[in-house]
Amino acid sequence: MTTTAEPTTPGEIGRARVRKEDTRLITGRTRFTDSITPSGTLHISVVRSTFAHARINRIDTSAAKSAPGVIGVYTAADLGVESVGLPNAWPITPEQKTPQRPLLAATTVHFAGEGVAVVVARSAGEARDAAELVDVDYEPLEPVLDMEAALADGATLVHPDLGTNESATWVFDSGEAGTGGSVSDAISAAESDPDSVVVRRRFIQQRLIPAFMEPRSVVVDPTGEQITFYSSTQVPHILRTMTAVTLGVPESKLRVIAPDVGGGFGGKIGVVPEEMLCVALAQKLGKPIKWTETRSESLLTAHHGRDQIQDIAIAAKKDGTVTGLDVKLLADMGAYLGLVGGGVPILGAFMFNAIYKIPAYRFACTNVFTTKTLTDAYRGAGRPEATFAIERIMDELAVELGRDPMDLRQQNWIKHEEFPFNTVAGLTYDSGNYEQATQQAMELFDYAGLRREQEERRRSGDPVQLGIGISTFTEMCGLAPSRVLGSLAYGAGGWEAASIRMLATGKVEVITGASPHGQGHETAFSQIVADQLGVPFEDVEILHGDTQISPKGLDTYGSRSLAVGGIAIVDAAQKVIAKARKLAAHMLEADEKDLEFSGGTFTVRGTDKGKAIQEIAFAAFVAHDLPEGMEPSLDADAVYDPENFSFPHGTHLAAIEVDTETGHVDLRKYVCVDDVGTVINPLIVEGQVHGGLAQGIAQALFEEANYDEQGTLVNATFVDYTLPSPADLPSFDTHVVSTPATSNPLGVKGVGEAGTIASTPAIVNGVIDALRHLGVTDVEMPCTSQRVWRAIQEAKGRSTQETPTDTHSPGAGLGSIDPNNPQGEVQ
Amino acid sequence: MQLENKFTIDAPIEKAWEALNTPETVAPCFPGATLQEYEGDSFTGTVKVKLGPISLTYKGKGTYVTRDEENHKVVIEATGRDSRGNGTASATVTGTMVADGPTRTAVTMVTDMTITGRPAQFGRGVISDVADKIIGQFSSCVASKLVPEAEKPAEEAKPAASAPSGSEGAAAPTGPSAGSQTNGTGAATGPVLASAPKTPATSAMRSEVDAIDLLDTAGAPVLKRLAPVAGGALLLLIIFLIRRARRS
Amino acid sequence: MIPAQFDYVRPSSVDEALQALQEAGDDAKILAGGQSLIPVLRLRLAAPSVLVDLGGIAELRGIREDGDRIAIGAMTSYYDIIRDESVQQHVALLAQATETVADNQVRHRGTLGGSLAHADPAGDLGAVALALDAELVVAGPGGRRTVPASEFFVDYFTTALGEGDILTEIRFPKYTGWGSHYEKFNRTAQAWSMVAIAAAVRVEGGTIAEARVGLTNMGTTPIRATGVEQALVGQPATADAVRAAAERVTEGTAAPSDADAAADYREHLAKVLTGRAVLAAAG
Repeated sequence: MTTTAEPTTPGEIGRARVRKEDTRLITGRTRFTDSITPSGTLHISVVRSTFAHARINRIDTSAAKSAPGVIGVYTAADLGVESVGLPNAWPITPEQKTPQRPLLAATTVHFAGEGVAVVVARSAGEARDAAELVDVDYEPLEPVLDMEAALADGATLVHPDLGTNESATWVFDSGEAGTGGSVSDAISAAESDPDSVVVRRRFIQQRLIPAFMEPRSVVVDPTGEQITFYSSTQVPHILRTMTAVTLGVPESKLRVIAPDVGGGFGGKIGVVPEEMLCVALAQKLGKPIKWTETRSESLLTAHHGRDQIQDIAIAAKKDGTVTGLDVKLLADMGAYLGLVGGGVPILGAFMFNAIYKIPAYRFACTNVFTTKTLTDAYRGAGRPEATFAIERIMDELAVELGRDPMDLRQQNWIKHEEFPFNTVAGLTYDSGNYEQATQQAMELFDYAGLRREQEERRRSGDPVQLGIGISTFTEMCGLAPSRVLGSLAYGAGGWEAASIRMLATGKVEVITGASPHGQGHETAFSQIVADQLGVPFEDVEILHGDTQISPKGLDTYGSRSLAVGGIAIVDAAQKVIAKARKLAAHMLEADEKDLEFSGGTFTVRGTDKGKAIQEIAFAAFVAHDLPEGMEPSLDADAVYDPENFSFPHGTHLAAIEVDTETGHVDLRKYVCVDDVGTVINPLIVEGQVHGGLAQGIAQALFEEANYDEQGTLVNATFVDYTLPSPADLPSFDTHVVSTPATSNPLGVKGVGEAGTIASTPAIVNGVIDALRHLGVTDVEMPCTSQRVWRAIQEAKGRSTQETPTDTHSPGAGLGSIDPNNPQGEVQ
Repeated sequence: MQLENKFTIDAPIEKAWEALNTPETVAPCFPGATLQEYEGDSFTGTVKVKLGPISLTYKGKGTYVTRDEENHKVVIEATGRDSRGNGTASATVTGTMVADGPTRTAVTMVTDMTITGRPAQFGRGVISDVADKIIGQFSSCVASKLVPEAEKPAEEAKPAASAPSGSEGAAAPTGPSAGSQTNGTGAATGPVLASAPKTPATSAMRSEVDAIDLLDTAGAPVLKRLAPVAGGALLLLIIFLIRRARRS
Repeated sequence: MIPAQFDYVRPSSVDEALQALQEAGDDAKILAGGQSLIPVLRLRLAAPSVLVDLGGIAELRGIREDGDRIAIGAMTSYYDIIRDESVQQHVALLAQATETVADNQVRHRGTLGGSLAHADPAGDLGAVALALDAELVVAGPGGRRTVPASEFFVDYFTTALGEGDILTEIRFPKYTGWGSHYEKFNRTAQAWSMVAIAAAVRVEGGTIAEARVGLTNMGTTPIRATGVEQALVGQPATADAVRAAAERVTEGTAAPSDADAAADYREHLAKVLTGRAVLAAAG
């Protein structure tokens, strides 16, 4: 069941339109990158290291070179690309250590799956066959798998030339920034005050894999004047610029096309070695070059996400008032820094304080190199980690203080009337109504009734125990304000571009720089333009994803498409209307000031004289009779750079049943009430929330990327990387309330990541709430049946065999319990 | 992954020590293997692992890195690479012997094994169970090979440090047939470790069956192939992937 | 992913298939439903020179009643088994277990014979065949023979089938009027069984008169829980009695350890799930 805010005005905005792009996407009619094969295309297969860390003694390509259909076999040296490094666009500190990330490893491999050679052949099968014949002599080196061990003295170094496995440490201190007090003062004060408490916990964000549906694919055709570069990417514009920077190809000689892209979740925002290899090979051989990865290659080598160790301390008075929050993170970068990998945990720095009024806050994050697949953005990017930690520790604090966890939140959150609110992390929340979303969620959920049932089950010793999980989250959407990104040393701005072309026949072409990869931009943007210009929805065409058509843009990630790209479209539409107004006045022989524009028609106030925008567009096209000095065009461009982020929020409640006999966790009911600002299309919002919830719940219950002691990823197929299916999830009750954002003319906030950010702590809080009375204080994610069962056994004081920990996930074997304080006692 | 296996051989320790140090004796007890060359302390060969639908062929080399006669300890290192680029396998096998009375020898084999690449990219699971089973089969094969020899006075007469025989028989293509327990003068009495043949085997030793029959526990020489010691354990890994691979 | 090259043969009779296997030697693979073999080929963990596809052999498909037996062609799909009325009536446990296999797509392609011949101890149907005393009809170079399920499963992925053999039919005795239940426990809904229990019981006046219990993924093969069966017979079909009998389920097992479950947890699950399966079967 889903309810959404009803549109207050008739029009396209707020209509639950079925996505116009779905017909071609779900009937197999569209062409993804792998469907594109220019004549004469050669195919590549990358020979990949089976070792996590090894010196390359010798690469023997002779057998592969003589295999059928093979055009060539190349190492980095053969291609002359040994000195080329893939870009890192976000040096988080001036001192950040940034190792060269090569297209192919030349002397040392740093993670299992890293390319060492590439085979070019007439068919993909022949390339694959020949790749098997490349004989690489490796000298194994010690893998580096554990972040804390990697930082210890004498640790094996992933990149010995850097002298350390620490990439950078980034610190924010509200005392120093002047946005709040000193947290060390707050904690020491609390520790010496009998009327205060300090709760410390260690939480583990396991490593996750974005697992987009369409594996990555690249086609580079060098036969035209420009190099045409197709890629299954989220970021065609960034890819174009970065390719120019990386390989020295003039940007004007590159045309990048992201055709329909089958998902990304952040996993396709990188600039990856295979893309650059295809360009280099296409230039070298003068033929189109194509690469399409296998699913196992994707799981092994496309960047991963999360993977943090979080040490959290919260100080509060015994009356519940939070007085300070201290956050120390270790973030696993893997073997290299991705395009924005180092910055991902830093995005979380602004969100640990969440919806609460916390007077003192400190955040410190150390990025660490290991010999694993690199990490970078994954749906939520920094914010899910922050939300998890704060929402988990609020529950722990509530238990410590003997308070209902919702009461405690309510006591500390920003009240509706306190907006706009300057946070301790230095942001200004423009709007929000936590009371409204929470009240509605608790009613729909029957919070009181479920608490009674929980009490009853505890009393009767029911083998199936009930837990209630809460997450009252906020997030920052619309990765933009260029000045903010600049202050964080991010390597680009955050604006977005749009153009509108009024065609002679009255149809409208809209060009956006926010290239979608499955979100439904074409539908939502069409609705916006239809409303703005008063033209039929069907008359609007959204063009994107090709740098020849859409030369300017910063692409899709960070829930920015609507909150930034959508506003650019509104701005362009306003410019079109301004031009049309001038021409309309001329045609109607009226003064511009006397014209009203409504429903696509300019009318002279107080008369029935009017001109439709289609008529005006035709008049501009023929240009027979234009006002003095007017260009014969209504077309307009706009680039929008917002002043602030937008801040969606919501209250998510989960009823969790835990079978204490088996440890099985069953999500019985999930209610969420999200405030995402103005809703353009409730169907799309619902779809985004559903998918987001599934992904966040998957972190809590199902997914984990594990490495064995040699540094081999042991989840290299979907058999072992356990994605949930609909059969594992309940029917969600998703609801929307709307407090329009004040930071943009549409009042929109963004919804792409909300479900993922909010749901993970709700689930884990629920699992623990079901078991708390048995003495369970934590279960590490994912909360598999075995982990839950062992937590119960351990709480019962029985000795059971340790959960096998042949993995080097963060904190493997330690659980999320502070090793210095295994019982999670308050200190 | 570390696997430990203990077994007892009905032979005096010197006899058992000699056998353990003789590739021609030991190797045929490892499943799926073909010994190609053998010189000094080093050998090369292939191990074919065939189980259910999976088949992998590891080609590699092995070396006796330690032979401590005094303490009856031998360490063998073996590495191999799958012929279709699926990854590598390596193992360090440490065998130690202690006399268990005058006619029996207790053997401990510790196998430390590393698998990289695709076979390792699937969950883990049954590996250690299967490993135990395989090494168990290897053990009983070795033990059974030794018994008849121990009973043969002529064989016993050969001192552990005897000069290399260079016996062509040991390297004959027909090799020790599986279950050649009574094949007295052939491979079973091959040269002693301490002085392995200086000449490479003239041709590969292979048996007539390619596939390993994992299950033939009937005691018969299940293990039809000569292999770097890694052989048995390699196959353990494979098991898992058969299952795991179902829905790639 | 693209597999290595192979020749493909699609015979239209069992005799032709046997001949094709004979000609191909030991480097041939039989393609039944392909739900395990094809992924292995795509991952290039196998590169057979010949694939013998049994999909064109009509005689291997279909379900018929044969006196006191239900005979199921080896190439009958899971989907057809689940829908078949005679299976539902006389071998309900088979239909119940088959319905839990993977997802709908797999159930349309996968076959009973393929699953049994693959002999994955985590596969669901071996335990059913074993518990219900199925007989497996095997055609080989030397003619046809019948192998009882108790002798069919030899070890991990290993059966009594020889290299040139083809499993042609699986024959189940009728368990008309028995109660049955397949209790499956897995990490996600479509994953392999972490542990599963196949149970069928005949209850007379509240007392368990006969019981059959098979275990999935508790050893290197499907396992028959004879200790539990013995302990159940003569007991009232009550929770306490059944749970007490279920305690014997780990006898003779060798539970594997993997990332989802260590052996001790599997053993614990087996006990809990056996109790649940038998109680559900007893109605």
